[in-house]
Amino acid sequence: MKKFLIHGVTAGVLAGIAGIIYQKAYEGAMLLDFSAIINPGSIVGASIFGCILMAIGYGLLERFKKPNLKGWLNVLIAVLSFLSILGPLAMILPLEVEFPEMFFGLAIPMHFFPAMIFFGLNPFFTKPRHHE
Amino acid sequence: MKSIKNIILASSILILSAFTISNSLNWTISEGYEIKFSSSTGDPEGIFKTINGDIQFNENDLASSKFDFKVDVNSINTGNGMQNKHAISAKWFDAEKYPNIEFKSSNFSKTETGYSVTGTMKMHGVNKKMTLPFTFSNNVFKSIFSVNRIDFNIGESMEKVSDDIKLEVSLPVTKK
Repeated sequence: MKKFLIHGVTAGVLAGIAGIIYQKAYEGAMLLDFSAIINPGSIVGASIFGCILMAIGYGLLERFKKPNLKGWLNVLIAVLSFLSILGPLAMILPLEVEFPEMFFGLAIPMHFFPAMIFFGLNPFFTKPRHHE
Repeated sequence: MKSIKNIILASSILILSAFTISNSLNWTISEGYEIKFSSSTGDPEGIFKTINGDIQFNENDLASSKFDFKVDVNSINTGNGMQNKHAISAKWFDAEKYPNIEFKSSNFSKTETGYSVTGTMKMHGVNKKMTLPFTFSNNVFKSIFSVNRIDFNIGESMEKVSDDIKLEVSLPVTKK
């Protein structure tokens, strides 16, 4: 289980860093400021939380000896990441925040960073199968 | 006899100057104004960010007072980008065709709690005579009133969005 948690935390931190870089780039390019809604702490926190949940899923499959279901778990993670974009779509921002229509372009891509990086790091935390 | 003439002349000048001052109270809308709207169902709720207007108001000379406001419909902000686009679409405000909400006063009167202004509200291409209550203190005009959006053919009557929309307007002003 420890291996999976390290996987989750590492992926979460990297996804958080990617999210912060994306926020800086997006806000810089668009001359916007959504710092009242999304800040580095919330990006890193949410990314680590999401990746730890994925890691717990992987760990449970390992514990119950169901590694074959990992593919389905990946599909579930992808679907949940996709569904999570409903959050920013429905979000009502404080009325003093300018250009709320530009918020989606910032928040939606970030929702895919944790799963993308978690899947990307998976080979580093999984023993390769030996074919007999 | 000469002194009486002088007194009459001086009095006339004073009266005329007072009359001139009372008619020259023009006001400019300052920063920090707010036009909030809300409904009993909680949806919609938001603000209009842009208002322009010609305000002539003298508490002692309501007959010469005048309000002429234009609110930019495209400046609507509900806090959600999709809702904003929806609000200015042809289904609701149709901002392309009717870019402004306008109010032109025709009559002012004093009330127990402040003042009321009667005028024509033009919204979504529909003109409607309305009387709006307001107060004026510390150089801030404040008004709370409701409009029935169905009267102005804005959207259709539905359960989710109430017909009556409450407006809360606060306009700090400075003398021109």
